[in-house]
Amino acid sequence: MKMPGDSELERLYDAHASSLYAFLLNLTRDVADTRDVLQEVFVKIARNANLLRGVREERAFLIRLAHNAAIDLMRRRGTRERTKLNLAEVLSPFAPASDPDEEVFRNELAAALAELPEEQRAVAHLKLWGGLTFEAIAVALEVSPNTAASRYRYAIDKLRERLRPLYEELKK
Amino acid sequence: MLESKARTTKRKRKIFYNQQITVNNEQEQFEQRVSGQPLRAVPSAWRGEILATARAARAESVATVAEPVGREPWRALLRRQLVALLWPHPKAWAGLAAVWVGIIALNISTHEAAPRMAEKSVTPSPEMVVELKKQQRMFAELVGSYDTMEADRPRVFAPRPRSERGEIAVT
Repeated sequence: MKMPGDSELERLYDAHASSLYAFLLNLTRDVADTRDVLQEVFVKIARNANLLRGVREERAFLIRLAHNAAIDLMRRRGTRERTKLNLAEVLSPFAPASDPDEEVFRNELAAALAELPEEQRAVAHLKLWGGLTFEAIAVALEVSPNTAASRYRYAIDKLRERLRPLYEELKK
Repeated sequence: MLESKARTTKRKRKIFYNQQITVNNEQEQFEQRVSGQPLRAVPSAWRGEILATARAARAESVATVAEPVGREPWRALLRRQLVALLWPHPKAWAGLAAVWVGIIALNISTHEAAPRMAEKSVTPSPEMVVELKKQQRMFAELVGSYDTMEADRPRVFAPRPRSERGEIAVT
């Protein structure tokens, strides 16, 4: 049985780890969980030679693996732990900013994202920061393109509503 | 009157259209602003750790590929078992298979011989039939005389009860 070689694994990691990391961090809001899921994805690829065979959209496929693993992880956690996590300080998926206004905006944006339902947050992340089309998002999250588009619309409306005062203030 | 109404409708449509454009522009600006926010970079130390774990998992997978554990389709399992059984002595298994083929061929050829023999038997000639009938009649006459002798012999009738109750009644 032929397994993906070291160079192939390295190539996959270098090409996709950053976007997977940000996506997982936005979903789990936990660095340790993000690391666990990211590792699980690469272990799965290393173990199964046929996993990436015939895959057209490598990124979308890896996001699907990561998303499923993250959902499994979150389900494995009890409701109590999830509540505790929600109440805890939200870990921002954004890089720290030197400009104080930008820093405030990023923190508010992170908080607004955390308030979104998981399925809307996933679509919003992949569209806004992953640069994926609705078709690719549909493949990655195993939903229809229409569902992906409507979830995105809901997410954007909520984010706009939540951030409008700050956004208007910062625009002045 | 109609003209003014049409003009009003047109003006309203234009306002609505402009509002929509404004909303769309605002939305686009908002989306651009949001999507422009840089994300955290994956910690550089993770690369080595994650890739090392993946390599170790792959090595473990290669080592256990000969004896996979867990769910396996029954066909794959059967094929694997057959291969494991036949592979060490292919010549011996081929010889055994050839012997079996020979046995089966011999069996088939002997089965075919019986109907052929049946086909070969011909219907007897009329003379033969007449002769056979003559012999049969003669035999019947001989046997018949014996039968009549037996038939003429007087029978000794001894009445016996038909059942135990009858027997009791008689006694």
